[in-house]
Amino acid sequence: MNDDDTTEPAERDKIIAAEYVLGVLGADERREVERRLAQEPALASAVAFWEEQLGVLADEVAPVTPPQHTWSQIAAAIPAAAGARRTSLWQSLAFWRGFGIASATLAAASIAALAYFGFVPATRAPLMATLAGSSGQPNFVATVTATGDSLLVVPATLLTNDPRAIELWLILPNQQPRSLGLIKPGQPIRLTIPPDLAGRLVPDAALAVSLEPPGGSPTGQPTGPVIASGKLTSL
Amino acid sequence: MDADATRSQLAAALVRVAAGDRAALAILYQDTSSKLFGVCLRILKDRSEAEDVLQDVYVTVWRKAATFDPGRASPITWLVAIARNRAIDRLRVRGARGRLEPIEAADAVSDPAPSAVERVELAQQHQRLTRCLEELDARQSTAIRAAFLDGATYEELAARLNVPLGTMKSWIRRGLLKLRACLER
Repeated sequence: MNDDDTTEPAERDKIIAAEYVLGVLGADERREVERRLAQEPALASAVAFWEEQLGVLADEVAPVTPPQHTWSQIAAAIPAAAGARRTSLWQSLAFWRGFGIASATLAAASIAALAYFGFVPATRAPLMATLAGSSGQPNFVATVTATGDSLLVVPATLLTNDPRAIELWLILPNQQPRSLGLIKPGQPIRLTIPPDLAGRLVPDAALAVSLEPPGGSPTGQPTGPVIASGKLTSL
Repeated sequence: MDADATRSQLAAALVRVAAGDRAALAILYQDTSSKLFGVCLRILKDRSEAEDVLQDVYVTVWRKAATFDPGRASPITWLVAIARNRAIDRLRVRGARGRLEPIEAADAVSDPAPSAVERVELAQQHQRLTRCLEELDARQSTAIRAAFLDGATYEELAARLNVPLGTMKSWIRRGLLKLRACLER
């Protein structure tokens, strides 16, 4: 890319991201892009854009059945102790809380929770929201269960020893927030969705979390600061 | 099966893989391995190398399923990205040996019946990309397709299409910028 000095750095990065995904870079340039990906969200997001867009060109590649023994070699290469891994995900939740963790990891945490609680999605695509604070740091992940009648909320960041209650709200366009209940700072919780709201948790509906007096908002509307919010998206 | 159903089926399998479910990895393998093997074979043009890379791909999927972000990527393009990255890395290490073999070499051993998942999930999005590629100069879209499918470097593409390196770079870069503008419309 050095031969394109007239281009702005940001613009040049967008091209580098595309070149990386397209596959035209040499080995050294590829390592350099990968090194930067971990530290530069803008570059990572440009790479994700092109992977998603260009990836569909694989439609033009004819599928070829791999030989039978390939699967047995893969199966032999992955650890057998599946149960242990679930536990360790939970144990490491405390560890995650101390750090600002990426939303991708958070999504994974919630996904693991989904599996842990036995909500293996069967009948409909699960809905999920990453609730982030004003700094963009994700604080909670909420997942609507496959049955659509409850919500699993996994906290992921360390909250201060604030005595206030933490209340979850459903925000629908042009409507007053509706309380979904109180959530706990340190542990995953399952909330039952009120029957009249069950059909309202749809993609693009938003969830928000506010700090309220102990016991929850006295007015039925958020009264304290909103510490996190996010939109539901379909898995 | 429609695209939404296949997408959530694959996402659900990845969810379970992230939680350490080996059976889910087996299901994912069943549904996607022939597409990913085709992708690797097209780039590497060598069956035994493509098999090695394919193994590596699913072991990587097992380890990295937790980083799959359903808000950002569709399951199949996420898997294709891993497969292509692995295959291209292998190709760069090995060098361009056998690079000038005709592309048909890979097609000759292709499986005539892709799984429903592979067929449906990619096809729908593919139409949109194709529309945008059609807006490009024919040389630009040919070069971009060849680069993606064969994992060729700028140098190899320039040699293959018999144009100076600088010309090839500028075709592809301008093509990518136009493509992005079209995709973002």
